[in-house]
Amino acid sequence: MVMPRPLRWVLALVLAGGLLLGGALLLPFSEWLPGGTVGDVPLQQVVNGSTFNQLFPALDPVFRVTMSQEKRGFSEARLKQGDQLIALLAISDTITAPEALAKFEQAREQLKGWPLVEQGPHASALLVADRFQVKVIEQGNSLDAAHRHDVLEEFDLQGLASLATPVLPRS
Amino acid sequence: MGTPVLTRLERLPRRGLTVLSLQGLSLLVPGGWSNVTSAEALIESVIGSNDPTLIAQVRARADLLSRARHEGYGRALSVYDAVNRSQHATAGLRVLAGVSAGVPLLKRMADLTPPGDTLQAVDLGLKVSAELLAFTQVNGLPGDSFADFAAALADYGSEARLRMAALVTFDGLLPLGDQALQRLDGLLGQASASQLRQLPAYGRMAGLMPGRGDQAHMGFVRRGVEQWVGWADGLVSQLGLSGQRAVQALETTLGPWQGRMNQLAVFLDAFTDTYAHTGVQAVARRLVERAAAEI
Repeated sequence: MVMPRPLRWVLALVLAGGLLLGGALLLPFSEWLPGGTVGDVPLQQVVNGSTFNQLFPALDPVFRVTMSQEKRGFSEARLKQGDQLIALLAISDTITAPEALAKFEQAREQLKGWPLVEQGPHASALLVADRFQVKVIEQGNSLDAAHRHDVLEEFDLQGLASLATPVLPRS
Repeated sequence: MGTPVLTRLERLPRRGLTVLSLQGLSLLVPGGWSNVTSAEALIESVIGSNDPTLIAQVRARADLLSRARHEGYGRALSVYDAVNRSQHATAGLRVLAGVSAGVPLLKRMADLTPPGDTLQAVDLGLKVSAELLAFTQVNGLPGDSFADFAAALADYGSEARLRMAALVTFDGLLPLGDQALQRLDGLLGQASASQLRQLPAYGRMAGLMPGRGDQAHMGFVRRGVEQWVGWADGLVSQLGLSGQRAVQALETTLGPWQGRMNQLAVFLDAFTDTYAHTGVQAVARRLVERAAAEI
């Protein structure tokens, strides 16, 4: 049986298309594709961690701040007194972790107008501009809640709040 | 890449040659070392609370982060795995050469295997570069300047002191002698780029290294080692590390060793996973620190 030429073309295209589609869906290509971001939030929407760096508390002769981790939407530093690690300081963009916002709804305390909560006996968290979480996690036993709040105040909270405006730096 | 970092942590051995040799070496490192294999205990020690809901939240966040390829935690582990496999393969060949040298018919096998100091130096260089690559995958480029980056690296190094001590002794002092760090640059200078390709780990790491081609990567390895040697030298003199002391410390946990030091190095390379073992623990800690800050 001889098929008409247009039909042959259509059939060939359908077969080739089906093969491509099947390949894309069934084979484990996703490993190689770009992406794989946290919570599948596109990277452009997340504030880059390097913009958080300048907002950490300034250097102090007694307490030293060493940056330790920087990713998109996250920056973390270690607060040290001499060689002793006292606390972890972090700023994160909650756009990849919306579940973190829930705890601030019951916040009773405020710091500079932003809601403040305690997470367990050793950590204090502050939510700035409904988007950025600033956290101080005590390591060891030298920083009680009042001290942690002092440290939170040392952050450039105003500068952090200004990052939440719709025009985000795209770096 | 499929297994989350904390699951890998829980699968680490609690006893065995790897743990025993690390425990032996930890006698030389003040502050010691504890074999952390429980994700819960690690999370507890970071957040300082044993509230099960908080721990579950941190755990869930950590698993989400380690599944996101872009975050690099999984990629760092695959670098460690590659180095580990490569170490087993090359050391296995040398063990085989040692055995077959005694059997007349197989004597030629011994000539085939390259036990040379240069290859050992390249192996150490590759491990140091792997450490740098894994550091940037896990921590990004912290800070705004090179000084910030260097400070972060030094800080990490002092946290992972046992890990670094293991790298210096097992891959430097034992196989190359007490002058290993002073000889390292010279040995790497003699090494050709093709010796890099003899190490199976290189294939996996090549894609992550800056520059293209074996020559450029050899340059990267040498620059990485240059940066590291000064720091490692400080560690050696601070802890008073030497091949002899390392052997004594290892004998307390592994039992008496009658062979030469470089034979002990080959034995440890072939039968222990110290590099990947402590690597998983270091990555897990940084991951939990981040997850705790983000919940």
